[in-house]
Amino acid sequence: MQYDNFTDSYNSNASNALLTGNEAIASGAHKAGVDIAAGYPGTPSSEILPFLAKFKSAIVNWSINEKTALEIAIGASIGFKRSMFTTKHVGLNVASDPLMTLAITGLRGGLVIVTADDPGMHSSQNEQDNRLYAKFAKIPMLEPSDSGECFNFTAAAFEISERFDTPVILRTTTRISHSRSIVSNPVIPGGAGIFKPGRSYVKDIEKFVMVPVYARNRHKSAIKRLGYLTDFSNNSGINKIEYNSLDFGIITSGISYQYAKEIAPYASFLKLSFSYPVPDILIKEFVGNIKNVVIIEELEPFVQNEISSLGINLKGKEYFPRDGELTPDSVELGLAEAGFLTAPERRSPHKYVKRIFDDPGNILETLPPRLPALCSGCPHTAVFYALKKLKVPVMGDIGCYTLGALPPLSAMDSCISMGLAFGAAQGLSLTKSSPKKTAGIMGDSTFFHSGITSLIDAKYNNISFTAIILDNATTAMTGGQDHPGTGKNLSLNQSFSSKIDIKKIIEGMGISEIYTIDPYDYNETFKVLKKALESENLNVVITNRPCVLYPKKLDYGKKFEVLEGCPGCDLCAQIGCPSISASFPSSHPGGKRVPFIDASCVGCSICKDICVFNFIAEINK
Amino acid sequence: MDDLIQNILICGIGGQGVVLAGKIISLAAFESGKDIKTSEVHGMSQRGGSVSTHIRYGRKIFSPLIPENEAKVILSFDIYETARYIRSFANEKTIIISSNHGKIPSWTRKNKNDKTGNGTVNGNGKIDESSIAGLLRTNFKYLHLIDDKGMALDLGNIKVSNIILIGILSGFSDIKKEIWLKAIEKNIPLKTADMNIKAFLTGRNYYENNENKIF
Repeated sequence: MQYDNFTDSYNSNASNALLTGNEAIASGAHKAGVDIAAGYPGTPSSEILPFLAKFKSAIVNWSINEKTALEIAIGASIGFKRSMFTTKHVGLNVASDPLMTLAITGLRGGLVIVTADDPGMHSSQNEQDNRLYAKFAKIPMLEPSDSGECFNFTAAAFEISERFDTPVILRTTTRISHSRSIVSNPVIPGGAGIFKPGRSYVKDIEKFVMVPVYARNRHKSAIKRLGYLTDFSNNSGINKIEYNSLDFGIITSGISYQYAKEIAPYASFLKLSFSYPVPDILIKEFVGNIKNVVIIEELEPFVQNEISSLGINLKGKEYFPRDGELTPDSVELGLAEAGFLTAPERRSPHKYVKRIFDDPGNILETLPPRLPALCSGCPHTAVFYALKKLKVPVMGDIGCYTLGALPPLSAMDSCISMGLAFGAAQGLSLTKSSPKKTAGIMGDSTFFHSGITSLIDAKYNNISFTAIILDNATTAMTGGQDHPGTGKNLSLNQSFSSKIDIKKIIEGMGISEIYTIDPYDYNETFKVLKKALESENLNVVITNRPCVLYPKKLDYGKKFEVLEGCPGCDLCAQIGCPSISASFPSSHPGGKRVPFIDASCVGCSICKDICVFNFIAEINK
Repeated sequence: MDDLIQNILICGIGGQGVVLAGKIISLAAFESGKDIKTSEVHGMSQRGGSVSTHIRYGRKIFSPLIPENEAKVILSFDIYETARYIRSFANEKTIIISSNHGKIPSWTRKNKNDKTGNGTVNGNGKIDESSIAGLLRTNFKYLHLIDDKGMALDLGNIKVSNIILIGILSGFSDIKKEIWLKAIEKNIPLKTADMNIKAFLTGRNYYENNENKIF
């Protein structure tokens, strides 16, 4: 993401701006005077911290993982500063240990936790509903439904946090974080870079040392706090009833509110913006005044269960799916089923274009598949191609390289959680269920995030597998964020001097068999991996080519071509390089289709190594 | 036209500039004083996957997603993606501005029956560009199949093909030309400004010369 010209995206004549949800959250945090912000990149939350850093008014940094990021925010709060922690939904699992106890200690400076959920799993391994964390931890939650609310609610969240002595969850979803809409009177970035002096540190062990004798009291306070928060939920005006039809009423929150307004603007609405704890009095009033009420919410029946526990039985999940994203259309179908509108003949079943698909059969089935693929020149490509040839079990991890699991590379066998690979490789090795040695594979940022501990564990337990670290010197999948291995960060460390060396960490563990390879040399890559996987030791293979996209787009200046006479065996196609495409049949009438390499080639030369018949060569100009 | 909600769906392959096109079009709509919402997809889908951006503008917008079959315009950078998205978003009046080129990943030929390797291959790449073009021609009155790659090469830079298509789209909008130019300038690196403006005007001229022609 480029934000270099971002002040230009503000309308010069008006005090409105067109912002993504994530940009609006950063702007709201700035308005609230946030002092320290930390997080670990994860779609769809990744753009919040870089945008906040542009304001130069707070210390904003990437952390090694989500747990550390929340702990930094907690320390800042203990030091009387306002702090924020940003994460994607699954990252809050990593930070849930400090979260659950922070929830009872309370805090000093306001502390806001932004969790960006991913219903529909656009770029995630699950679609857990983090609203449940608010209930689990007994802390309040705000759910914005557009960028304007992202801005206002983030600013309000800090006030609520301090007023009620509690961390506050601001929960967005992909469609909130990555949608643009108009924000009125946002704060314009570019203020002076100041770190405001604050209050002096004082101890308070009864509040922050959660040994049983103190923790018991704090838990009582947290339970009592829920009562005050319920009053706030009813009376603050954040939760609103919009009266309209007295026959049809909808209780909803987040993006579902926008879909419902689109489809049933005539209905009355109870919009839950402060959705935990729910406003019991408002709900009773709404249900008492409206004849038919349904609940529209994405994922879990969270609001539905809360309302049910008030003794009010309303329907919701009976009409709207519990998995995936809602859309205006699924909301329309559900509302039709609930008797709110007549069957939406207008859209389903694709009245206008149905015949196109009926005539020549379903053309969708004949379209080329568009599985996400590794980039042209991606340094991960050769490693996966070699692993495929070596036919070993590969415990995988989360990052761009997860794409190595998909065809045509198909060389990774698991993707479950960040840092899983080396733990799972240890476990799988122990089973001796494969005659071949197990490999575990992860990227550099993932290794720092949670791979170090499991590699130490493998050494400690003396378990043999081959740990592969694809070091491309960035956090690529989420847009190229820095990490300890790059030595740079958003606010601090603007030089490479504090770079942390992965190889030295591993040497420090006492693992002696470490190979460093250039993955652009496929033959060498294959040879080294084969050797490492035939060795009986716990060993490590580290690749050393930078990402071709981040921090800047690389082009090695070489171009390759498929030579005349190529028999079209498609071997080169099996590395899945996006620059190698099937030639158009129309351009070779009657002739054999041979692959061709287009101008997007960045010159990594892997395909040249793969083509054992030497029909790929560098273009000499 | 002012009060109408305009739904523009942009589609293509990750890396083709779908997100950038969305930023340009939405900034143009915003600068002309409309309420606007857009929805993009980042992350996994960017890597060569099928990508779409929804843009909706008008007097008051709630949903950032376009309801099914309600796209006023489909702007597509790959003809196979045009075919993929018409089912869900087009109606017979939809204006389709699409590249006449499409990209087929070469490995799909070999793997067309591959059900192994956790293969969730949901297509076999059997259809070619000309059959899709034929299909589109028989079904859509307002179809503009553009040799955008060829036009971009004529300008000397294949990367501006999507700006040419935006130039054509601009003709169908009620947003002033100067606002479009400003929106482009604000979203591209300064050193490529001349090339991109040229590409936009090439598309715009194409529209003006072919306004009433049905392709």
